[in-house]
Amino acid sequence: MSDGTGTIGRLRTFVLVALPIVLILAPLGLSLYDHVFARDALEDGDAAPFLEFPAERDEGCVRDSAYMRFHHWELLREVRDQAMRHGVRGEISLDRCRTCHASRERFCNRCHEAVSLEPDCFGCHYYPASPTALTSDTAPAHGPGR
Amino acid sequence: MDRRAFLKTGGLFLVGTPCLGGLLVMSAPRTAAASGAGTRRWGMVIDLRRCPADCTACLDACRRENNVALHDDPRWDVHWIRKVTIARKHGKEERTRTVPLLCNHCDNPPCAQVCPVQATYKRADGIVIVDQHRCIGCRYCLIACPYNARFFNYKGGETWTNTGYPKRSHGVAESCHLCAHRLDEGRPPACVEACRARGTGALCVGDLDDPDSEIARLIADNSVKRLRDDLGTEPKVYYIGL
Repeated sequence: MSDGTGTIGRLRTFVLVALPIVLILAPLGLSLYDHVFARDALEDGDAAPFLEFPAERDEGCVRDSAYMRFHHWELLREVRDQAMRHGVRGEISLDRCRTCHASRERFCNRCHEAVSLEPDCFGCHYYPASPTALTSDTAPAHGPGR
Repeated sequence: MDRRAFLKTGGLFLVGTPCLGGLLVMSAPRTAAASGAGTRRWGMVIDLRRCPADCTACLDACRRENNVALHDDPRWDVHWIRKVTIARKHGKEERTRTVPLLCNHCDNPPCAQVCPVQATYKRADGIVIVDQHRCIGCRYCLIACPYNARFFNYKGGETWTNTGYPKRSHGVAESCHLCAHRLDEGRPPACVEACRARGTGALCVGDLDDPDSEIARLIADNSVKRLRDDLGTEPKVYYIGL
């Protein structure tokens, strides 16, 4: 690199320095863009995933839909801690969600899939993918003890 | 104002202000008492004289209510309440007796003391409970419990026998929680209900602090024993006829 002060040399130096930086920062930038884009898509009524609301919507949810859309998990976490830690079981629970939003597949999952979220609530809490899905109600037999 | 009057008034204020503050604090309504937890101290009495050896009503009811799966393999089985047979020699004759064992809901729970993430804790009403959301599955509580009342969930629940109560995923510790979700609603635990329904009535759950409650009367009128009373864990499950 004898002509490092020339135009071509400067360009080469610039590329050698800038390209790795761009390559390193690209995934971060892309993920940020994706995050912002995904959020915009949810806020924009047309691009948001179609959610099937219950027929009797007049009754109303426990909070307005704008709050529920982005903060329902905060609400659920709060009532969960109240019930677990303090034994205060209020009216809000996943069971109550289920009374209106009967299908997890057509309601919860649509948004969760759109934003690549996999909450593990439903591994333990009963919330069938569709209201017709049945669970076995056979009781297990007792064990011999240990 | 002379020096004497000044000192008297000043002293009165000095002593009076904290006293008034204390009175105000004491008379203020307590938020903890407003909720269900904290106003009671739950305990259990098991009357072994009324507990038939071959009866498994409480075990079955517990499994059904709390979705405790059974895998028919002692390595993975979880028992929130189980029955063990103990043998005791009286001279030449040997007597055997089956005893229901469950979490003793100790007042000094060793499991809660060792839990590194406070997933196991004692509620204000004395129930020792595992927050499955927080448990990291380290199994320290299984080692700490002197009653072997804790079990590790290796396989996860298979299905919901009771859709109103969650099952557990694999990788968490579990134990009896005295059906806290039912007690909070004012219903008796599933085992007690099943025992009563069968007509045996060997199990009784109630408020230990209330001298008029059935459980307090049972403890006062009978000779009761607690398991490993010498350990200082202060268990709250009392046995009659052990």
